[in-house]
Amino acid sequence: MIEGPEQRTGHSDALLLHVIDGESVIDGKLGAWAIFIRFLRAPFVSAYRHRDLIRVILKRELDERFKGSQAGWVWALTAPLLALMTYTFAFGGSAVLPNKTAAKSAYDYSLFVFGGLIAFNFFAEMAYRAPSLLQEYAHFIKQTLFPAEMLAVISTLRASAYAGIGLVLMLAAQLAFTGSLSWTVVLLPLWVISFMAFLIGLTWFLSALGAFTRDVSYLMMTIAPLLLFATPVFFSQEVLPPPMDVLIYANVLTGFVEIVRDLVFFGRLPGLAVTAWTFFISLAMFWFGYWFFNQNRANIADVL
Amino acid sequence: MSSDAPVVIHARHLAKAYPLYKDQGAWVKQALFGRFKTYSRPFWALRDIDLEVRRGDSIGILGRNGCGKSTLLQIVCGMTRPTKGEIWVRGRVAPVLALGATFDQDSTGRQNVLIAGAVMGLKRAEIIAKFDSIAEFAGIGAFMDQQLKHYSTGMRTRLAFAICAHVEADVLIVDEALSVGDAAFQRKCLDWIDSFKKQGTLLFVSHSLDQVRRLCNHTVWIDNGRIREQGEPHRVIQSYVQATRDERDDVGRFSAADH
Repeated sequence: MIEGPEQRTGHSDALLLHVIDGESVIDGKLGAWAIFIRFLRAPFVSAYRHRDLIRVILKRELDERFKGSQAGWVWALTAPLLALMTYTFAFGGSAVLPNKTAAKSAYDYSLFVFGGLIAFNFFAEMAYRAPSLLQEYAHFIKQTLFPAEMLAVISTLRASAYAGIGLVLMLAAQLAFTGSLSWTVVLLPLWVISFMAFLIGLTWFLSALGAFTRDVSYLMMTIAPLLLFATPVFFSQEVLPPPMDVLIYANVLTGFVEIVRDLVFFGRLPGLAVTAWTFFISLAMFWFGYWFFNQNRANIADVL
Repeated sequence: MSSDAPVVIHARHLAKAYPLYKDQGAWVKQALFGRFKTYSRPFWALRDIDLEVRRGDSIGILGRNGCGKSTLLQIVCGMTRPTKGEIWVRGRVAPVLALGATFDQDSTGRQNVLIAGAVMGLKRAEIIAKFDSIAEFAGIGAFMDQQLKHYSTGMRTRLAFAICAHVEADVLIVDEALSVGDAAFQRKCLDWIDSFKKQGTLLFVSHSLDQVRRLCNHTVWIDNGRIREQGEPHRVIQSYVQATRDERDDVGRFSAADH
């Protein structure tokens, strides 16, 4: 039967919006400290409130990736597996690691590169997609009450599914080639979380910029491939002469690449300074991105 | 208008301007040097709108294309912010602005119900519980499990309205949405809106004056971004029809120069 409105339980008296002269005043007057706390909590509050929406859009995004293909998710596994095999054949001969420590086996360099590429590809997927992310969902943002800030979270979650496949494969290869795994791999979830925070922040920033101009898209397409070589993926930060060995940390991806390698490949704890710098970068990027997105939110629906 | 019911939408001196730039790159100059010089002209889509809507009201909104109707509705939904003036809205708003705007062509009707329901703010469990009722309202039978690209326009509208009818909104916003369905489905929707009106508030935009006459107890006529006349439907519709007959459909309406 048709469920009529007479079965409704009651009216909500919550204030949905209150705007005066273009400024939202729904929160009333708050002190500076309360505003700051509210701002820090805001992305998490929003994510919790929209959890069902995140779930359904994420599922749609994951389905979409291999839509129309028969093998489907097999491709998600095939790509990194082929990459790993190719590196093993290509680099297997050069059994000396770039940081001049003797390689234990012919597979070492390929595992070394593979670890760096997982981190870099995680970043690259978001860097390529973020500038046009809001355009992809323009019809949602313009015509429904869609929480646009959650798109950065959803797209990063999707990218982390592929990064997760890569990580599992890397752990399996490490175990197969060396026969053991260091205890330090239990710290990987921390790495994933802080990398995700960084990428979500980056996506907020790039997607808000990208809503205003397509140039951001072209800029990222131009610089992301170059960043691959400005990031110690095929080499190690340690081989660089001073002062480059420190300056390379200005490329914020360096820390993420070094840490995942330390945890899995070298089986050691990353340096304190590198860890602190990397965590700082990811938290700073997260809230800066959110701030930037929020500043421009009112204009985004109008310019899309 | 019922005078003792609580106010759900309150707007005072509401105005919305969109910047019109001379060329495509001008907004960059505006962003960089905006504090020294203005590179755009404002296009006032809405000017000085005063509106008070009480629970249980059904407001018909009349006006020609580009007069600012949709902008007003978008402001009420919170999709876009007014430039000047004050507005507040109480309760849950369900916009049926562009029916099926969120529909994904490659997903089935069933999956789209889940997505659209979530976008409308329903909990997943609520959507699943209402699913059969939505399917029955839409009345598209086995097409529920077909991809959206195999739907006709009418079927899409049916599905979209069926979802909106299950959102349990306090304020329902219908924007020229019913014109696509066939007569039987339109009647079904109008009947449903009739029963919705017993408790909920309706903002109804339509070029079908008969529907406005049937559904609304108050009518607002927006012309060129301003409220030209409001009040009892028969009277407002009469002057609207009269004016449409008198005024030519000239091109100058859309130019920003005279604002």
